[in-house]
Amino acid sequence: MLSVDFEKQVGNFHLRPKFEADEEMVVLLGPSGSGKSLTLRAIAGLLTPDRGRIEVPDGVVFDASTRVNLPPQNRNVGYVVQNLALFPHLSVAENIGFSLSRWPAGQRRQRVAELLDLLGLTGLESRLPGAISGGQQQRVALGRALAARPRVLLLDEPFTALDAPVRNALRREVARLRRQLGLLALFVTHDLQEAYALADRIAVYDQGEVLQFGSRQEVFGQPKNVRVAQLLDARNIFEGTVIAKTEAFTEIETPWFRARARAEGDLSPNSRAALSIRPEHVILLRHGRPHAELVDTVLDVELEEEVATGNNHRLYLRVLRDGMPTECVIEADLSAHPFQVMGVATEKRWQVALTLDQAVAIPVD
Amino acid sequence: MTAETTSRLDPRSSGVGVPLVAVFAPTAILFVAFMGIPLAAMFWRAINSDQLADNLTSDFVIDAMRLSAITSTASLIITLLLGTPLAYLLARYNFPGKIFVDILVDLPIVLPPTVAGVALLVAFGRRGILGPEIESLGIELAFTTTAVVLAQTFVSAPYYIRTVKAGFESVDVQYEGVAATLGASPLRIFWRIVLPLSWPSVFAGAILCWARALSELGATLIFAGNFQGRTQTMPLAIIGVFDAGRTVDLAIALSVILVVAAAILLLILRLFARSSNAGF
Repeated sequence: MLSVDFEKQVGNFHLRPKFEADEEMVVLLGPSGSGKSLTLRAIAGLLTPDRGRIEVPDGVVFDASTRVNLPPQNRNVGYVVQNLALFPHLSVAENIGFSLSRWPAGQRRQRVAELLDLLGLTGLESRLPGAISGGQQQRVALGRALAARPRVLLLDEPFTALDAPVRNALRREVARLRRQLGLLALFVTHDLQEAYALADRIAVYDQGEVLQFGSRQEVFGQPKNVRVAQLLDARNIFEGTVIAKTEAFTEIETPWFRARARAEGDLSPNSRAALSIRPEHVILLRHGRPHAELVDTVLDVELEEEVATGNNHRLYLRVLRDGMPTECVIEADLSAHPFQVMGVATEKRWQVALTLDQAVAIPVD
Repeated sequence: MTAETTSRLDPRSSGVGVPLVAVFAPTAILFVAFMGIPLAAMFWRAINSDQLADNLTSDFVIDAMRLSAITSTASLIITLLLGTPLAYLLARYNFPGKIFVDILVDLPIVLPPTVAGVALLVAFGRRGILGPEIESLGIELAFTTTAVVLAQTFVSAPYYIRTVKAGFESVDVQYEGVAATLGASPLRIFWRIVLPLSWPSVFAGAILCWARALSELGATLIFAGNFQGRTQTMPLAIIGVFDAGRTVDLAIALSVILVVAAAILLLILRLFARSSNAGF
């Protein structure tokens, strides 16, 4: 188990992360400067907290109350820093074998060969880091961190400098390696897609604090508050008041419309709350066409703008009330095929449906 | 040459009409001549002297060369051993009074070496503050070869420490942090990572330090005196020539050797800088 609960004051910045994790992939997600990387440094032993406690699977490595503070050398933690810091004067094999200096030469060679094989680096062992590709450098850094068989792997935005295809391949590989080796991995990123693709659990960081920690479904499905929803890039957040709360739904009245959201969260009637729905969950309906299914909220909208983003179209739909435009704009994502088939660009008036099971009620605080 | 510098040096784009090179070249040539003529004259005299071979192999010159080689190498080794840890501490750590240590280390560079000689004499000379203590340890300093080494070290070490400190500072601390998480002890990190990565600075600093030790005169003259075979290094021997009313050709022979040695050291430095820039 890994348990992090400490405080550290760095200038004006107050770092106070708190979470626990088992053998899984934990993504630390948050804007840059929110303390994700500093948390990794503290776990690795390169930053000494002022207060608190850090435990890794091999035991307590820092505890201010009992004055335990193991040096980085004795923490058995694999750490891949953002710029990799591969030793530029050492070959690929020497980099990977760096942590094995006390192993007998034969075993060391065998372990290095094993890692070269595992990471697809065979044949590059005598190259210097400057003479291999960015993706290969990443693998060397991973191999170097894994050589001494740590039980925790810390990855600090390791793939930011890479092209998208290499990045995707390495992401899958890291996930595979982690499962294969039974590691607990902490992965720092500010990239939502990366977080979504990799995470078993997510810690949402903001200004030195973990705002929410939970499974990927929990965090994306039910953000704890509006700030978390914003950090997760939830596009449609509409503030209003709870007007009804039942076992089945939470009903929220916004200045522009009334809608029902899922019942999760302890919101009482008359409390401030926001309704949030991800753009990919907004359903576009042809105007004036009767729709048979029972949808929960249907709104008249006017197509205001359309932006193509790769395979998707992001639609900006202004909500109409009694036929008059309001200040409220809903964003909806539509993939290229339905966009063309429906002839979205040729019509101005549409309707959107917000389904109860995709809309979330979020406390406003 | 980049497009930008080309266009800046191109007189047609400057709009002035007269190429700048035509204005600056005469003064530049004059200055190069001023620097070159004395050296050329010295070589000219040396080559045309029928005594050159005899002078170069005289006991007087051989003794000075041997002593210079021994003392400058000894002071370089002392500087490497004691200056390297100091440079690392100055590069990596902040401590109270660090600025004073920094200034202290730089002082010998700007002071006249004769001041260094006086200071050494007052501290470690026979009647110096620590003189009796040193004498009671059975160490004879005044007018010995050891005194020459001390004087050279005092004056030349700052060149090494400054250069190597800058070298250490340019090594990303991230390497040291990562190496620590990989289980390397602090000494191993220094030996395997920091030192190899700052090797160009160590090399350049050592060359500068050695060249400075080789040309050391003022501090040695005051602290160690000028005795053939014991404290008379090549620069002191040149003074000795004039003091003792020997033939000036001896001084010329010694000077030619020093010029050649210094030029070779500078050439090595240039070639090395070029090759290490081309590396990682």
